[in-house]
Amino acid sequence: MAVENRTEQQVLGLIERVKAKPLRFRDEQVTMAHGAGGKATLALIEGLLAPAFGLEELADAAVVGDVALTTDSFVVKPIRFPGGSIGELAVNGTVNDLAVAGARPLALTLSLVLEEGLTADDLRAEVEAIARTASAAGVAVVAGDTKVVERGHCDSMYVTTTGIGRIDDRARLSPGSLRPGDRVLVSGPIGEHGIAIMLARGEFELEAPVESDMRSLWPAVDALLDAAGDSLRCIRDATRGGVASVVNELARASGVAIVVRERDVPVSPAVTGACEILGLDPMYVANEGTLLAFVAPEAAESACEALRSVAGHKQAAVIGEVKAEPPGLVLVETAFGGRRVMDLLVGDPLPRIC
Amino acid sequence: MRFVDEFRDAELGRVLAGQIAATVEPGRRYKVMEVCGGHTHTIYKYGVADLLPPNVELVHGPGCPVCVIPMGRVDDALAIARRENVILTSFGDMMRVPGGDGTLLETKAAGADVRMVYSPLDALRIARDNPGREVVFFAVGFETTAPSTALTLKRAKAEGVENFSVFCNHVTIVPPLRALLESPDLRLDGFIGPGHVATVVGVRPFEFIPADYGKPVVVSGFEPLDVLQSVHMLLRQLVDGRCEVENQYTRVVPYEGNPRALEVLEEVFELRPHFEWRGLGFISHSGLKLSEGYASFDTELRFDIPGVRVADPKACQCGEVLKGVIKPWECKVFGTACTPERPIGTCMVSSEGACAAYYNYGRFSREPAAV
Amino acid sequence: MSACNDDHCITCADEGVEMRVLERGAAGVSVCVTEDGGRADVMTELVGVVEDGDLVLVHAGVAIARLRRA
Repeated sequence: MAVENRTEQQVLGLIERVKAKPLRFRDEQVTMAHGAGGKATLALIEGLLAPAFGLEELADAAVVGDVALTTDSFVVKPIRFPGGSIGELAVNGTVNDLAVAGARPLALTLSLVLEEGLTADDLRAEVEAIARTASAAGVAVVAGDTKVVERGHCDSMYVTTTGIGRIDDRARLSPGSLRPGDRVLVSGPIGEHGIAIMLARGEFELEAPVESDMRSLWPAVDALLDAAGDSLRCIRDATRGGVASVVNELARASGVAIVVRERDVPVSPAVTGACEILGLDPMYVANEGTLLAFVAPEAAESACEALRSVAGHKQAAVIGEVKAEPPGLVLVETAFGGRRVMDLLVGDPLPRIC
Repeated sequence: MRFVDEFRDAELGRVLAGQIAATVEPGRRYKVMEVCGGHTHTIYKYGVADLLPPNVELVHGPGCPVCVIPMGRVDDALAIARRENVILTSFGDMMRVPGGDGTLLETKAAGADVRMVYSPLDALRIARDNPGREVVFFAVGFETTAPSTALTLKRAKAEGVENFSVFCNHVTIVPPLRALLESPDLRLDGFIGPGHVATVVGVRPFEFIPADYGKPVVVSGFEPLDVLQSVHMLLRQLVDGRCEVENQYTRVVPYEGNPRALEVLEEVFELRPHFEWRGLGFISHSGLKLSEGYASFDTELRFDIPGVRVADPKACQCGEVLKGVIKPWECKVFGTACTPERPIGTCMVSSEGACAAYYNYGRFSREPAAV
Repeated sequence: MSACNDDHCITCADEGVEMRVLERGAAGVSVCVTEDGGRADVMTELVGVVEDGDLVLVHAGVAIARLRRA
């Protein structure tokens, strides 16, 4: 067979075309990578789950009429970490999935799987945390279930919630709606939750003053809807897989390229330091109270101002821009003046993060 | 400002880039190899290649001690991990490297007790905490990492920790460089030398490169300004017609290296007669094993290891990529049969490998179509 | 400290982290800190006797060199 004389552009074009196809689920067993929020998770969803249930568009919440519906499980280990606990995470995580779909959160169901031997004090502390957080977020816990499994069959507790909300009139959000010229906004410094969890695990000797950024995102979404309305294309919370995953998913969904300017992305020195020691890139580290918003260029500055005026989001910033080509590609302009590609995560650097 | 931030300054980067552009001779092509995965990482993370003139090409070398571990050795580790009562500890780097029989990650998913550690000392702690189990540490890395394993073994010996052993796959830097340089189809003008290996072994071991092969070397630090400065120093040598080893990383690397570290290595390890390198074949005196005094901690003596050699797949062209003969995208299986998720050879296995780095970070970094 | 994520592999990349000695300890282990506040236990015996405030380069839990500011 003659050796193909492929040019570099041809090879790269081939790769991009292959990447644009829906992922197939070809693994023989489930590994931790499937839970990481990166490529393996996407392959599981696109290759197995979505086809099985006839789902076409994948978003944080499903919309039926003007009702938004979402569900989430929380398996974070340890159940208490700097900045919060599993109960608070469960409420805020679900509230946030509704919020970024443009829905005002109304109610939650709460399902608990408890480990035999969990102390009543620990259980009480989480139940109280859930009640407190729900109240602060303005949602009611209206239904639930409780199961117990033998010692060793879950870590203290797993929590599953289903959230219901009403789509706000001002929201016109869709992951496929990004256009060239749109701006990318982040609501605050990144990487805090993931690092806080790693440190709480105490698996290695590292101490740093980092707390989870966990909070309800509804106030921020409310402010964005007010300031930008129709100019707001999409909002996502950057949980598992971090900022990088969100930007990649949106580039893929809208068939556009996205350029992120590293110098403009807010990261605290403590997170930078911990990431450096651990060999992690903050762009891939989970957040639990930080969103990305994609806005038409004319509304970007006012949207950013609006975000900054919401408590907890004063470091909101414009961090990038949408371009036409090549579709699905995410590029980072480094602080040093060069460029690199930022793909979806492949493995699982931070397991059981949420 | 942190000490390291001074070496990431974009303004200075532009100045250096200007100096490099002024130094190169138009019409001449320069091909420079950075040996060490750390330099590959810096180059991609900061987009350093974008600051170089188009006639200067960076070729990424075999400096990835994890991905040069042959498939058969990975299979040995899998066999050890599957033994009842064994806890296999490993750096995260090794978890996704495929052997003929799967990866450590897959073996862990299938029920083996495989644990990620951040240092061999963590592995020793696991051994102390689990006296009824056999704890094996899968040791990999160049001379930079070997001292860490050595100190851990000294502690294990001093404390009499009996349920701990090391599966040693440490490699040394000079033999693969020599093997590369011996190759008749080598197409390189000079080398960016491994700064952290040099921290341990010193600058002297690299003198053979200009002396025996006529190629200049600059031992470099790992910040983007370090790499740019080293490229500049190398190009200056080529333009001036000089050929020597220079040390750009003087703030860390002493000419004689770290004598204490070398002593500890001498005490705990000895050279194997030969060791197989994925993509490069068998290289003499390039791998370390535990010395006689530490034989009781040698996993290969404590357990029966399959020791089966698994050949590199036929389609793999890693050898040519490593020598600078072809670029990653020119490999017939690049991006199709060989991807970061399903790697065939060394260059794609770790994110610092030439092909993985190009695939994950480097494509489109120079003059992308319309971005 | 060595760690890996799919972006960057510390062993492969031969990464060294600059750290400052916070508290010299016994038996060649000192508490060191990065300038961003990340703290770790580091074996320092290969760089000789350290004093609080010394700058060292750390790889896989071991200080392999001292940093000399120009």
